[in-house]
Amino acid sequence: MASDASSANPAKIQVLKDALYEEVRQHGSQTRLFTQKDLLDLDIIPNNNISLLIQVVQGLCDDKLLVATANPHTGLAWRWRSREDARKYTSLPDDETVMVYSIIDEAGADGIWNRTIKNRLNMHEAVVKNCIKYLETKGYIASMKNVEHPNKKMYIVANLKPSERATGGPWFTDGELDTAFVEELQAVVFEYIKTNSAYLSSQGQPGGRTRAPKKGTIRGGGAAALDGSGSDARGTKRSAADISNDDDVVVTPAPTSTTGSKSKSSHMIYLPMPPGYKKYPTVPEIAKFIQQSGITNNTTLTEADIQQLVDVLMYDGLVEPITVNRRRGYRVTRAMKQDTVPFHQRQKERETGIGLDKALRLGPEPPSSALTEMPCGRCPVFELCGEGGPVSPKTCVYMLEWLGLEAQVKVAVPAAMVSS
Amino acid sequence: MLVTKPAAELCSLLIDELHGELPSRIFSTLLNKGRSTLPQLAQYTAMTPRQLRHGIAVLIQHNLLYYHLEPGSELAFYEANIDHAYNLIRTGKILEMVDTSFGAPAKDVVQNLLLSGQTRISDLIAAYQGKMDQVNKATAHAASDDPFGPETNGVNGDSSPKKPGLPVKSTAQLNSVICRLVEAQLIDVVHTKTFESPQDILKTVEKEVIDKHFRGGVKGTKAKAELESLVAEGLRKVRDESKSLKRKLEQNGAASKRRKLFAGAGTANGGLDEEVDPLLDPKQVIRINYEKCLVDLRNRRLVQFATDVFGETTAYVYGILLKLLTKDLARCRPDPVMDSRKDDDDRQGISSVSTAQILDNLKTSVDLSLGMGKADRQQISSRAANKVHENPPKKKTLIEEAEVVGDASADEDEDGGSNDESDYDSDYKPSANGTNGTNGVNGLNGTNGAKVKFDDSAANKDRRLDRPTQLRQHLLLLAESPQRFVRHCGQEDWTVDFEPLMGALREAELDWMIENTSGQQGLRLVRILRAKGKLDEKALPNVALMRKSELQQKMLEMQTAGFVHVQEVPRDVKADVKKSFFLWYCDVNRSLDRLLDTSYKSMIHCIQVLDLLREKEKDVLATTKRTDVRGREKDTMRKEYYERYSRFLENERQLFSQVMRLDDLVSVLRDF
Ligand code: SF4
Repeated sequence: MASDASSANPAKIQVLKDALYEEVRQHGSQTRLFTQKDLLDLDIIPNNNISLLIQVVQGLCDDKLLVATANPHTGLAWRWRSREDARKYTSLPDDETVMVYSIIDEAGADGIWNRTIKNRLNMHEAVVKNCIKYLETKGYIASMKNVEHPNKKMYIVANLKPSERATGGPWFTDGELDTAFVEELQAVVFEYIKTNSAYLSSQGQPGGRTRAPKKGTIRGGGAAALDGSGSDARGTKRSAADISNDDDVVVTPAPTSTTGSKSKSSHMIYLPMPPGYKKYPTVPEIAKFIQQSGITNNTTLTEADIQQLVDVLMYDGLVEPITVNRRRGYRVTRAMKQDTVPFHQRQKERETGIGLDKALRLGPEPPSSALTEMPCGRCPVFELCGEGGPVSPKTCVYMLEWLGLEAQVKVAVPAAMVSS
Repeated sequence: MLVTKPAAELCSLLIDELHGELPSRIFSTLLNKGRSTLPQLAQYTAMTPRQLRHGIAVLIQHNLLYYHLEPGSELAFYEANIDHAYNLIRTGKILEMVDTSFGAPAKDVVQNLLLSGQTRISDLIAAYQGKMDQVNKATAHAASDDPFGPETNGVNGDSSPKKPGLPVKSTAQLNSVICRLVEAQLIDVVHTKTFESPQDILKTVEKEVIDKHFRGGVKGTKAKAELESLVAEGLRKVRDESKSLKRKLEQNGAASKRRKLFAGAGTANGGLDEEVDPLLDPKQVIRINYEKCLVDLRNRRLVQFATDVFGETTAYVYGILLKLLTKDLARCRPDPVMDSRKDDDDRQGISSVSTAQILDNLKTSVDLSLGMGKADRQQISSRAANKVHENPPKKKTLIEEAEVVGDASADEDEDGGSNDESDYDSDYKPSANGTNGTNGVNGLNGTNGAKVKFDDSAANKDRRLDRPTQLRQHLLLLAESPQRFVRHCGQEDWTVDFEPLMGALREAELDWMIENTSGQQGLRLVRILRAKGKLDEKALPNVALMRKSELQQKMLEMQTAGFVHVQEVPRDVKADVKKSFFLWYCDVNRSLDRLLDTSYKSMIHCIQVLDLLREKEKDVLATTKRTDVRGREKDTMRKEYYERYSRFLENERQLFSQVMRLDDLVSVLRDF
C-alpha cells in the first residue's frame, strides 16, 4: 500500500481524512453504510483518485473512525463511528481486547454470549475472560440478561439499551416475565372491554331468580306464585306479579332485589348489547385508554402490545372478537353472568376480608362440567381405576367423601332392624 | 353408537339395574360374542333354555335386541341393540320433557310405555281401565266429600297432579293422549322390521333392489348411483313404516285443529278433543321413539346453552324457534345413506321459521324488552345486524371477510347505516333523555323514589319498541354470536345449522372441562394451540404471557389429561431426543373421544358405588321390602335404621342424578 501511495504526503492525507470524516458525518447516522462510490461522490478526494481514497479510508479505519462492513448487496461499505467511541478502541491495551470489544460492539443491542465470542475469535477462554474483565472494569461493556436464553452470560456495549428481543418487551422486568404487571393490565383491559361492550342495567330478568337456586337466592314473594299451571321448566315462567305488570311500563325489579340485598350493585346486571352495535371497543381505542389512564407510567405500550393482551383475554374465553361493518371490536362473553362490581373494587374488598370465599378471577366462573362435579373427573388415578384394578370404585374413598359418607365406613349390623 | 369396552360395560350395568341380572348377562354375552343363536347362547352362558327364553323375551320386549331369521333357516340370530340399552339412562329425562311439553297425562302414558316396553294399544287400555275401576271404587266410597266425581273425567286435567287420582281419567282421554304423542313422533309403531338390525335391513333391501332392477349385475357408475338411490329409497320406506300411525292421523285432518287446542297448557276442553280423535286400532303395537325424544332433548340443551350465553329471555325466544323448527325433524343426525337426498321429507322439516310464526307462539306473559341492552340509534348498524345468510356455512369459515382493525370505516358506514335503518327501525326512537349510552345506568333506575319512577316510566314508554321489533332483536342477537345459534336466512326467516352449532357446543363442553380441571391458564394454552396449530414449546410463553416453568408444568398436566398432545420432531437423522423439537398441538376430536370414554367410565363408577352401598345397607333395604314396613318406613323402623335408609336414598338420588348429568355430556358428544 505504501508503495502505491508514494505521491501523497502524510499531512495532506490527514487533512483529507478529517474532511472526509466530517463530510460523512453530515450525510447520515452511524448506521448508514457508505459505498466506495458514495465516498467519492462526496467530492473530497480530488480527481476521483481511487488509490488516494483507499489510503484515506484505511487511515480512518486505523483510527477506528470508520468501520468496514461487507455487505452482500453493495459489496464493501463503511459506516462511521463517533470520535468518542473510537477513542475507546484506541485506548485499549492490546489487539485481543480490541477484537473482543469490537465483536461485542457489533452485536449491538441484542448483546452477545461469551461462548460465541470465544468461538468466533478462536481465542483461549482465559484470554477472552481477561479481556472482558478489563472492558467491564473500564465501564465499556456490561453484562446483560436475555429472556430467550436466561442461562447464558451475555455482554453488551455499556451505553446501549438492550433490545426488546433481549429484554422480552414491556412484559419483562430484569429478564423475568412480570406476571403481576401483566395481570394488572389484563384486569384493566378486561374492565374496559366489559364496561364498554355490555349494558349495565337495573332491569330484572325473568326467571333469573328462579333459575339459580344453587347460589342461594332467596325467593321473593312474587316468585312463590310459581304454581304448576303452565309452568315452564326453562324458567321463563314469570310470577303472577310480573304478569300483572305487563301493561305497566315500569319494569318490576326482580324479587331478589327487593328481598333486602345489601349492596346496591347486587341488582344491577349486565346485558348484551343489541345486535348491530357498532361501538364495541377496538384495540386502538383500548390502547388509547391505557395510555391516557397513565397506569403504565414509564412503559410505553404499543397497539401490538395491547393486541397481545386482548388476545390472551380472548384465549381465556373472557372476550370475543366481533366484526360489525368491518370494524373489529371486542366484547365480553356471557354478559349477563359478569360481575357488576369492578375487578379492582373486588381486589380491595378482599384486602379487608370480604369475599374471600370466592376465588378472585376475571369474568364469571365457567359452567360446571358434569365430570368435574364428581370425583372421577379430577381423579389422579382414573386410568388405573376399575373393578379388579389397584383402585376401584368399590374401595374409593373420594366417592364416599363426595357422598358425605367417609365417617361410617364400617357399620356393625345389629340383628333387630325394626322397632317393635 | 360405537361399542367400546366402557360403553358395553355400562349398558350391561344399566340393564342389570332395570331388568335384572338374567337379561343383563345375556346382553353382555351378545355384546362380547356378537350375534348368536339360542344354542350358542346356551353354550356361552350355561343357562337353561327356559332361563334364556325368559331373558330374551324381556330384552325383546324392551327393544334391546335385534333378531334376524334367514329365510328358510330355523334358528334366529340375536344381536344386542346397544343404542337402546344406553337410552335406558334417559328415562327420567324423557319423562320430564314430556311432562313439561305435554302435561301429566302424557307423562303417565309414556312412563307406562317405558316400563312395559312396546305394548299393544288394547293392553295399554286394559291396564288403564283396571286402574280406573279401582279408583272409581275408592272414590265411590268417599264420594260424599269429593266434589269431583268420576263423571268429571278429563275436565280438569290440569289440576289432576295435585289431587289424588289418576292423571288419565278415561279411555277416551288415553286415546287422545296417544294420538298427540304419535303426532309429535314421540311414539311410533312397531312393525315387522323393527327388530332387524340396520345391517340386516340394508342387506335385505339391497337384495330386493338387485333382484328387481339389476338382474344382470351392477355395471358402471351410473348404475351404481341408481342402485344407491334405490336402496336409500327402500330403506326410507322401511323407516317410514313406523310412522304409519302418524300419517293416518294426519290424513284424518283433525291434527292441525287439535294441535291448537292442545298447545295451551290449560286444556279445560278435554271433552271436545276426544270427539275429534279417531279411535286407534287396538291391535297396533306402539313404543317410545327415542330418536325423536333426542331431538327434543337437544332443543332443551341448546336453550340451556343460549341461557348461559345470553340470558333467559333470548333463550326463551330461541326455545320457541327450535320447537317450531324441529317439529317435523325425525332425528338429530341425518342418516348418511337415507337422508342424502335434498328433497327428502325429513330435511324439509328443518327449512326455516318465520318471525311471525315465532311471534304467534310466544307466551303473552313474556316481556321481550328484558334481557337486552339499549343503545342510541346512531350506535347501531342495522345493516350489519340484518345481514342475511342464505346458505349454510361451508366447512369452517371463521373469518368471513377482510377485517379492518380500527374504526376507519365507521364514518362511511354512518350514511349507509341510517338509510336502511328506516326500513326496520322506523319506530325505534332514541330515548327521551338520551342518556342511555353504553354505560348509561342513568336512564332506568326504577328503584328510586316514587316521583322519579313516574318520570322514568314516561321515558321508558318512549323508548319501548314494539313487540315484533323486540323479537327481531333477540333473534338477530342469536344470529350475530360467534356460536351461530341462528342463521338469518331470509328477511323474515330463521333457521339453525345444527351441525356447526353442535360442534361449537361440543368444543364448549370440552372448554368447561378444561377450565374446571386445569384453570383459566390451561384453557388459554389449549385455545392458543387450537388457533395456531402446532407450536414449539419455546413459542408458547410469549403468546400466552406465562412463565416458562409454569407453562411447562401445565402442559404436562394437560397432556396426561388428554387435552393437548405433543409431537417429537428430530433435528437430524440421529434423532437425539435431547436435540429434538417438541411441538404441542391439540386434536379436538381426540380429546372429545377421550372425554366420552371418561364419561362412560364415570357412569360405571357411579353405578358400582351404588351397588356397594346397596350391599352395605342390605339389611336395611331388606327390611324396607317387608310388607308391614313398606310405605310406612318412618313409623315402623327404628330411628337409627330409618336414618340409614334415608341416607341411602339420598345417596342413591345423588348418584343417579350424577349419571343423568353425565348423560347430558354424552348426548352432546355423541348423539346430538
Ligand atoms: S372411583 Fe374413585 S378412584 Fe376411581 S376414578 Fe373415580 S374417584 Fe378415582
